[in-house]
Amino acid sequence: MAPPSHLPAANWWQRKRTREIALVVCFLMPSLTIFFLYRVLPLGWNAVLSFQHWSPLKPARFAGLEHYEEMLFHDDVFWQSLTNTLIFIGAAPFAIMLALAIALLVNSDLKGAAVYRTIVFLSYPLMTVAVGIIWRWMYDERGGIINFALRELGLVTKPIPFLQSFEWALPSVIVAEVWQVLGFYMIILLTGLQSIPQHLYEAASIDGAPRYAQLWRITLPMLKPSLFLCAVIGILNSFTSFDIVYVMTGGGPGHATELLITYIYKLGFGQTKFDYAAALTVVQFLLLLSLTYLANRAAGGNAGSLERR
Amino acid sequence: MFNRRQVLKSGAAIAGASALPMPAIAQAPKKISLLTWNIIDTEVLIRAWIERFKKDRPGVEVEWQDKKGPELPAFYQTQLVAGTPPDIINTQGALGLEYAGQGALLDLTPRIKADADMSKRFNADYLSNWLLDGANYMVPFYITKTVLFYNKLLFQKAGLAEPPQNFDQILEFAQKMTTAEQSGYLTLNFDWLYWPLYAMNGVDLLSKDLKTATFNTPKAIEVTDRLAKATESGAINKISWTGRWVEPNGAFAAGNVGMLQAHAPAYFYVKGQGKWVTPETLGCIHPPGNFATPNSHGLGISKGSKNPDLAWEFLKFMTDEAQIGEFARLRKLVTGNTGFDAKHFVELEKSDPFVGSILKTQLEHTDKMVGNWRLGNDSRVKDAFWPELQNALLGRKDGKTALADAERKVMRELKKS
Repeated sequence: MAPPSHLPAANWWQRKRTREIALVVCFLMPSLTIFFLYRVLPLGWNAVLSFQHWSPLKPARFAGLEHYEEMLFHDDVFWQSLTNTLIFIGAAPFAIMLALAIALLVNSDLKGAAVYRTIVFLSYPLMTVAVGIIWRWMYDERGGIINFALRELGLVTKPIPFLQSFEWALPSVIVAEVWQVLGFYMIILLTGLQSIPQHLYEAASIDGAPRYAQLWRITLPMLKPSLFLCAVIGILNSFTSFDIVYVMTGGGPGHATELLITYIYKLGFGQTKFDYAAALTVVQFLLLLSLTYLANRAAGGNAGSLERR
Repeated sequence: MFNRRQVLKSGAAIAGASALPMPAIAQAPKKISLLTWNIIDTEVLIRAWIERFKKDRPGVEVEWQDKKGPELPAFYQTQLVAGTPPDIINTQGALGLEYAGQGALLDLTPRIKADADMSKRFNADYLSNWLLDGANYMVPFYITKTVLFYNKLLFQKAGLAEPPQNFDQILEFAQKMTTAEQSGYLTLNFDWLYWPLYAMNGVDLLSKDLKTATFNTPKAIEVTDRLAKATESGAINKISWTGRWVEPNGAFAAGNVGMLQAHAPAYFYVKGQGKWVTPETLGCIHPPGNFATPNSHGLGISKGSKNPDLAWEFLKFMTDEAQIGEFARLRKLVTGNTGFDAKHFVELEKSDPFVGSILKTQLEHTDKMVGNWRLGNDSRVKDAFWPELQNALLGRKDGKTALADAERKVMRELKKS
């Protein structure tokens, strides 16, 4: 109720709106403080560091664009790790398509669908390090089960050095990564599928729409938010797939499976080039930002926003 | 609201309260910290040392932390940045020199020289592994260098009576033992552990002054191409150039690899995993030319230590015969403390002669140690060189191209430093 007009206007801190805002700020403050301290501040400091020469016990000196010049014009490994990271990201849509196919299967009237769903999902809660070790042994050239099976089936005469060859190493790591995350994608997509109103399919069937048209016109558009979520998770996973690469190949052979994240770690903690690693981190951050923006645009531009009632 | 008097009173009270603990702080015990690398299995022993050390020094505290291999460098560097480095640090390989190059470690030379016992305590060749620009930054904690293990059963099966005496024989014998299920040779590759293969061919990585790359020679190209060819044929197991230590040691322990170039403690891993391993079936020799790469553990003191004298005392205490002897007997290793090692070998001759014979190699031909260039930027040089060599060894580039590319990168790194 508005105050009577003959009363003096309330002070700004006595207004209801001010109190509401203060309350919201109080609730948000802890999270915002943590976000600022652990995200914004390090990011800012990292950006500053990328323009300096710095190591733990030496004073910082201004370096200008030296690290960026080194990265762009002299560092082959940067380009290789960037390419590998993009290939890793490029694998995400295939993983999502595969997960969608499985989700469609287990969402149908298939007998034992719940069992298949559980089996596919089982890989996700496993520790990534364990997944890396398991796949490393499975890929082993001499005693690995994959080579054993291929030879027994007569598909190869010589064992394939999956993790020891420049050609096979990256695809092999990607397969292991996809295997692990597939179940998670599937669950997200399955939830999306189950939230699509059935009457849309019934109406389409009555109108004589074939199954592929239903998939194209109903399922995929209605799944857009879930697909966007999977795409973002896929991008983030590609950028942060440190553990599986570290365990399976350590970035090798050569730098054949090096990702930006593993290279940044090696530069920082292996070679004490924190300043140069910071410059690479800036590039990785910008790349991540651009890709997330593109994914958001592709999903309609308002992904993550709340529906106002 | 407070009035001025209240504010002044409160201020005086706070100042008084904060001054109260000052005498207590002044009397706080002297504290040092010790950071070790992957020896958590010896916790009981280390804690007993600490108690023993404290007993003679009332008021002293020693905090011990142990970190696993990959964790230690990251942890130490964060501590350096925070300004709270552990007083004593244990590192492996060339890492100590890296830290010294960054200015993180205390120059121990004056202390070693001033202490008659410490200046005589260690094997001089191992001690000199931690020399950077003439200054000594670490002392041996426990020492290792590479040897050549060989599977006598596979040698016999291939009709080979003796282990190889030179590089040509390594490749020839490896080829003879190679089948679809077997490979002839494996080497560990981290931290330059494969370098004896080049050293036995007269190839060195850098000039004596460590300022120029000297490895891009016709001989080095020839050696690289031959190693690549042997790898392609399966005579050298590809894990030699890709795995770290678990995979190569594991593969040799499985009994289907003829030779393994690894540091001596690999024996315990191989013995633990391989049922075939007995003194009759396993041989252990110096690699041809007696070349070997050290990969020892050293102890140093952080420059940021607040109690460097106490840290030095503890370092001396740890490497003293009494303490280091307990450690060496528990873990069956060589310490670099020459007085103790000699006694230990005598003990081992009676209790476990085979282990004794393997460990003895660690103190033989120590003048032939290679791959231990005293660089403050060893990891950067390594990262400039190794991936290119891998390119050649695994067939992505020919030896000539790979070594030329490696030379360009190594020289760039050397110039930067």
